[in-house]
Formats: sequence, C-alpha cells, structure tokens
Amino acid sequence: MVVVPKTRKEMPVTTLSVPTIGSAGKTGFWRDYRPVRVELVSSCTHDCPANNRLPQIFEKIRDGKLEEAAEILLETNPFPSITGRVCPHFCEQHCNRVEYDEAISIRAIERFLGDFILEKKAESGFHKISTEKGKKVAIIGSGPSGLSAAYYLRKMGYGVTIYESEEKLGGMLTYGIPPYRLPRRVVKKEIAALSKMGIDFKTGKPINDKVVFEDIQKKFDAVLLAIGAWKEKGIGIPGEEFMIAGLEFLKEVNEGLKKAPGNVVAVVGGGNASVDVARVLKRLGAKPIVLYRRTRNEMPAIGEEITKAKEDGIEFRFLTQPVAASKKDGTIMLQCVKMRLGEPDASGRRRPVPIEGSNFTLEFDAAIKAIGEEPEIGWIPRKFINEQGWIEADLATGVVGENIFAAGDLVLGPSTVVEAIATGRRAAWSIDRYLGKAEIRSDVQLAEPVKIEGINLQYYELKERSKVFELSPEERTRSLDKEETLGINLEEVKSEAHRCFSCGYCRACGVCWIFCPDASIDLKDDGKPEFDYDYCKGCGICSNECPCGVIIMERERE
Amino acid sequence: MLQRVSMWRDNNGKGERIRMTQTVIDTANHIAAYAAKAARVQVIAAYPITPQTSIVEKIAELVENGEFDAEYIRVESEHSAMAACIGAAATGVRTFTATASHGLVLMHEPLHWASGSRLPIVMPVANRALGPGWNIWADYTDSMSQRDTGWIQFYCADNQEVFDTIIQAYKLCENERVLLPAMVCLEAFILTHTYMPVKIFDPSEIDDFLPPYKPKWFLDTNNPLSHGNIVSPEWYMEFRYMMQESMENAKRLIPEIDKEFCKHFGFEHGGLIDYYKCEDADLILLTMGTIGSEAKVAVDNLRKEGLKVGSARIRVFRPFPIEEIRKLAENAQMFAVIDRGISFGMEGFIAEEIKASLYGQKDQPLLAGFIAGLGGRDVTFKTIEKIAKKSVEWMRRGKIEKETVWIDLRE
Repeated sequence: MVVVPKTRKEMPVTTLSVPTIGSAGKTGFWRDYRPVRVELVSSCTHDCPANNRLPQIFEKIRDGKLEEAAEILLETNPFPSITGRVCPHFCEQHCNRVEYDEAISIRAIERFLGDFILEKKAESGFHKISTEKGKKVAIIGSGPSGLSAAYYLRKMGYGVTIYESEEKLGGMLTYGIPPYRLPRRVVKKEIAALSKMGIDFKTGKPINDKVVFEDIQKKFDAVLLAIGAWKEKGIGIPGEEFMIAGLEFLKEVNEGLKKAPGNVVAVVGGGNASVDVARVLKRLGAKPIVLYRRTRNEMPAIGEEITKAKEDGIEFRFLTQPVAASKKDGTIMLQCVKMRLGEPDASGRRRPVPIEGSNFTLEFDAAIKAIGEEPEIGWIPRKFINEQGWIEADLATGVVGENIFAAGDLVLGPSTVVEAIATGRRAAWSIDRYLGKAEIRSDVQLAEPVKIEGINLQYYELKERSKVFELSPEERTRSLDKEETLGINLEEVKSEAHRCFSCGYCRACGVCWIFCPDASIDLKDDGKPEFDYDYCKGCGICSNECPCGVIIMERERE
Repeated sequence: MLQRVSMWRDNNGKGERIRMTQTVIDTANHIAAYAAKAARVQVIAAYPITPQTSIVEKIAELVENGEFDAEYIRVESEHSAMAACIGAAATGVRTFTATASHGLVLMHEPLHWASGSRLPIVMPVANRALGPGWNIWADYTDSMSQRDTGWIQFYCADNQEVFDTIIQAYKLCENERVLLPAMVCLEAFILTHTYMPVKIFDPSEIDDFLPPYKPKWFLDTNNPLSHGNIVSPEWYMEFRYMMQESMENAKRLIPEIDKEFCKHFGFEHGGLIDYYKCEDADLILLTMGTIGSEAKVAVDNLRKEGLKVGSARIRVFRPFPIEEIRKLAENAQMFAVIDRGISFGMEGFIAEEIKASLYGQKDQPLLAGFIAGLGGRDVTFKTIEKIAKKSVEWMRRGKIEKETVWIDLRE
C-alpha cells in the first residue's frame, strides 16, 4: 500500500518509497552494448591433446562432487590413473597461472581422480554401457590408443574384440614404460575394468599378414589399427648390429629379465625411450652414458624425465654422434664425432653439424640405440600406405579407408600416452559415425584459448601449488618397481581446484551480481549469471570485474 | 596493550574465567577500537589515514582473531568507506568507521547522505590539520569544516572520554527522536597516540545501557523499499526541519545520557559542556578537547594568584549548546575563547558560534578569540595562563584590544 503523507507528523524521517508497478528504471533504447556470458576455451583444455575439460572438472571438485568431476574427465580421457602418472602435462605447461605464481598441479589431480575412479568403479556408473548397437569392431593392438578406442566404442554399445600379439595386454603401458613411472597394478586394474565391460581380448594373436587381416576386415563392421611403433630405426652406421634396440631391451626387462647387458652402457638417442632405457639401466646397477647429437634443449624426451635422469646421476654427453661401432673382446668400441648446432631444421630444432676431424673413440660393455621408432606396416595392404611409406590416415578423425581406421603411434609416430588416447577416442567417434552412417568430421575445433590478460587477477591470491612428493634419487634408483612419484590428498586436490583461474569458464562466484549497479543480474540455481536486459544499462562493470573473463560486451547496434 | 589491573570473575565455580571490566593503559585509538567492540558494532568499513589508522588496524586485528564478531569491509577510499557504512546502516545494523583530515573532507558528500538518510553511524575523527603545507598534527579545521553536514559532533579531552563517548554516541544516535550520525573527535597524537589508563567494559556489561539497534525501517529484501529518493519542493523543507528538530532533541538527550552512563559505569563528562570552577568566575576560558584539560591546570594556577578564572570545555559542537552558553554569560565578565582552528576570512569557529549565541542578550560579557595550536603546535597550561592574563587585563580595562589574537605567532 502506498501512503502519501499529508502532514509533517505522518512523514517518515527520511524519504522512503515502496516499489510500484511500472517502467521506472527500465533501460529503454539507449543501451549500445550488452553483457553476454560465454564459455571460452582455457589454455589447459586447448593444449591438452585429449582436450580434458579441466575448468569444468575443477568446478565439480570445488563443489565436492567428485563423481561428477570424474564423469567429465572420463568423457575425454578413459585412463586418468595412467596419464595422471606418465603424462608430460602439456596442460600445466600452458596453465595461465604460470605467469602469476605456479601452474595448477593438474596431473596430480588427474591421478587422484583416476585412482578414485578405479576404486569406485564397482558401485559407480563410470563404465556403464549404453544400449547394445549389435555391431562389432576389431581393434588391432592393446596399447593406450587401442584401449581408449575400445572403452569409448564399448560404452557406445559396440561389440569390441582386441587382438594383441603379445601375451600381456597394454602395449607400451606394459612393455615400454618402466614400472617406477607406471606401476603395473594400475594398468592391470584399468584393463580389468575394460574386461568387465565385456570387451573381448585375444592375446598372443599377432595380425601380421594380409590374409588374416582381410579376413578380420570382413568379419567385423569396422577395424581399428592401433599397432603402435615398435621397430627401432637404424642409425645407418657400420657395426650397428652390435647395438641393442632400446624398445627390445625395455620389453625384455618388463618381461622379467632384470639384467643389464653390461656395466658401462652407451645409450644413443635423446627421446623418451632413450631416457627410459638409461634410467632402467641405472636401476639395474649399470652405469649408463647417454650420447646425444644435439644438446639438452633439443631433446625430445619429457623435460621432467631428463631432469630426474640427471638427478639419478646419469651422465649425458651432448653433441656426440657415433659414426661406427665395432666389437672387440666383449667391448663395444663406438667411434664418435663431435657436433655443433647449425641452422634450425623442419622441427624448429637446431640441426647438428659434424665438426671435421673431431673423431674419438669410446669404449663400452654394451650399447643400446633408441633414436626413434617406426611402425611395422609391411603387412598392411598397399592401398592404405602413402608415398612416404606411412599409413594413409587422417590425424583428426583416424579415417584410413573402407572400414579401416587408425590411431596411436601408428599415425603419430612415437608420441605420448595422452596423444595416443586422444587419437583412440577420436577414432572411436569416427567409427561410431561411420557405422551410424553419419558424416565423419573432426572434433578438433578449439577456438583460441583465454590468455592471462583475460583474467581479473585482483580476485586471486598468490598461493603456492601443492607439492607432489617424490622419492629421493638415492632411494628411487635402488628399485625398478617402486613408484617414484606419489599423489596428493583430497584436501590438496581441493586447494588446487580453488587456485584454478577457471579461464573462460564461469566459476559461479557472483562477483557480477555484487557489482551490477542496476540489480539486473540474477544468479541461477547453478550460481551463474543471467542478465535482465530490460534493466541492464550496459555499463560493462560485470564484464570488467569478472574474474574468469566470461562476460563479454556485445554491440547491439551501430 | 599494557594491562595493569584485571578483574576476573569465576564463572559458577567451573573454573572458567570471564574477562570483565579491566583497566588498561593504551592509546585513544586502541581505546576507540575497544569501544566499537564493546558497542557490539556489526559492520566496519574503513580506509586508513594517519593518525586514525591504528583504530581500524586494531579493529581488523580483533575481527581477524575472532574476538570481535563483525563484518569488516575493506574499501579503496574514505568516500567508499562512508558509502559502505551508509549501505550497511540502511539494512539496520550498527555501523562504525573512523577517519581524519583529508579522509574526512573526501567523505564530505556521503556525510550528507548519512545524515539525510538518518542513519546512526558513529565515526571517530582523529583531528588533523589539512594540507598543504602537509601536516599530520592536531587541528580542528577538518571536523569544523564539516559542521553543516548534519552530524552530531563530540570533542573529547582524554582517552576515557573517547571510550565512553563512543558508547554514549550510539545510545544517542539510535534514539528515534534523534536518528542522526555522530563524529567523536579526538586530537591527533595528543590523544590518538598517547597512552593513558582507561577503564574499558565488556560488551556484556554495555548491553543493558546500549540495547541492540532496532530501527523502525530498514532495507529488507522481503519487504522492499528504497530510501533517499527524489523529493519535490513541497516536501523537502519538512525533512530538513525534522533534522533540526532532532538536533534540538539531541541537545536535551546528551546530558541525560551522560548521567545515565555515569550511573552504570561511574564516569560523567559534563554533558554538553564540562564546567570547571565557573560558578564565581569573572573570566571564563572557553575551550575544546585537550586544551580544556590544560585549561583546568591553568585555572588552578591562576586561582592561586587570586584571579577568578573558570574553564568551560565545550564537549558538543553540534548541536551547539546555545542555552548553556547564554547561562554561562549571565555571571561572567569576560569570555576568552581558544580555537584550534580558523574559519578563513572570519575568526575561530568556537568564538564565532559563541558570539552568535549571545546576540541580543542583555549584559553580554566581553569576548576575545584566541587562535592557538594550529597544526599541532603545543598549547600548554602556560600558554593558557598567558591568554588568561591578557584577558584579565582587558577585562579590567573593560575593553578588548583585538577581537582575534593569534597566540605564539612569529613576528
């Protein structure tokens, strides 16, 4: 009821009014810009090969909804307990927080969620299968890309059979990566979970000739080639036959032959296989010496692994290239030449150039070469092979031709687990579209990521990231099997989730609501803003204040 | 905080000890902070400025360590501090801020908002000179220049009075016949940073004297209304008249509240004016704040010399105690008014007000204004004795030589 006083006695002490129905305060036509809430791509999501939606995951963690966080993670990464241990975490390298204090400890969070999923899988719906589609897919190879595709295909309701040439499943996860980086119980648990989903595993079944392959191609609605890259490349020097292949060595060790080929062992190469070989040798009591023709900066191996190798006490000889090998009385003689760095090559790294007359000879008990691997594709029909001798596959979709798809190192060349997983997932989606007679298209369509300039740093306190506990070099070099990196606990995970800038993703903080001078923002049930354009004057304060940069001002008229 | 005497009470023999009244030796700034806590202030919004800073610093410390249950809003300026206090007070909570000097004059615009909205905000002002020349020492020009903002103004003479006045100010301002904000003024360093023994009281002891603030109207999302809206010429004058009425009410209530406070806590500060040996005095020294304390020493010394001098320390500048001043004028032959501030182009603030109060009265005393202690220059009992002797001379001659005399001014 509106009371208009007549006398002074009836007046309140100050001017008061009750709201009346009408258009008072409405904006009308004079606004030029209006705020719009958008969802942008964060740097971590953008630079993760699997495009894990990390800000969304961290939001769920902040809300204490671990199951929902895990669900979102599983949408893009089926094996977070594995990548949470071995991933080079491109996400952390590109985290905007690096420019503020320290990156979010994303890998440790991923590991926490991965282990959480493995523990919870029995009573959860993480591995629930949708309606059976009645179609069958064969996957050749049970490495990370094959398993990843199997997981998504099975979840979508396809019958999946995996052919594995070795006795054990897991490919590189079982035979390549050393157990101190990735404990085998984790791999076994992940595979056991897949087995429960009804995926059919056929081990000890190498598919390596055209007839068998064509038979499978006919028997199944689609075939995914996920055979990896296992063949050691040749260095092309005389006496190369005296050198042991890096992956062969790792495989033997992983099969149980825990013996170094000698005391002082040369390891030739600068990639992940080389560093793995060197670190394994150290744990077997040998004295590895890594020979690499460029310098540390050009090494393709994961930086963290190189650092750890150095901490382990492994010797690196850079700018050193073997040019001939010979064997005499059980000693391997490596004739080497000193290199210098020249102009950058196609990969952007500086090309090593031999220094004339700098030849010298080194003596070793054994030498292992690990300069790169390539897939063995001799048995794949010629029509699927391109002029360069590689499989003719589209990187973004995994499409090869007919009902054949490919994923993992076979397509990528030697790469990381997360990249293999990503290509496996994309191939699974392509297979689904192919079998559903839909158009196959790339899912890699990420816009430019949000940079730190888009974040309102005023709202974030400087805070160190949660430290991940690692065994000391003395302790870790004593055992091949003891995991050298430990995880973080729930409290630390939450603290990290709170540190996240939530780049480009509304964190439901309500700052816009607090600042809106026209009270024209409503927070919905999820705490995120909705604009009342009848009253919004387009001042832009919400956009200016937003800590995550998700409110943009859209021009309404010229 | 140096704690001299503590009284502890055993709680029902359970061995738990509850801290009650205690005498502490501390600065007026810290005492102001304890007063805010004792008054159970709910919202503080403040911006630091010398010499006020240690008030809000202490409050921040008390809020942070959980001793003081209040919302502490950090702001980027005094203007925002007052704006935040206005917003908070409008929702019906007890609100506090503190400022000084340039901070206070930056607040000028929202000061009008606070009084016009009739919000009982209490704000210590650590009186400090205005620059340039840059000066952080005592001077009343800052708060005096805000005299027409509709704020009640108290001026304190010692640390105990600071504590007591803050409590009394809430009692007064929240009275529905008043509903105006108040400044509690204390001079830079002379009070703000000077340690004195003070009896401070626990909130539980204050509760009976100062019950929770329960306004008739307040902002409430369940019962939406807006305030401070536009008002047409037909109504504006009435709102202003009501503010003037409230000031008059405050003038009556201040001595009552001071007496009631004394009943509860044993301290009385003189109501509107703190009189000292005025009954038979021919010459009365009219002062304010700490100059008033010094004046008492001077009065005692002068009386020893046989001079009939008294001191009247004006404790409340707004509302101005016109009636008290007129009464005081009845028996006195001369007023010597000492001002720690100057209204440029006119004279000392207090002298001006007293003259205005006396206009048209019969048998007016002689009146001389003295400007002293600007920018923190010392005004000791010796200075005041000098002023008094000069005044006595003029009084005896029955004529003043100069209306405004600047004391200790360099040639």
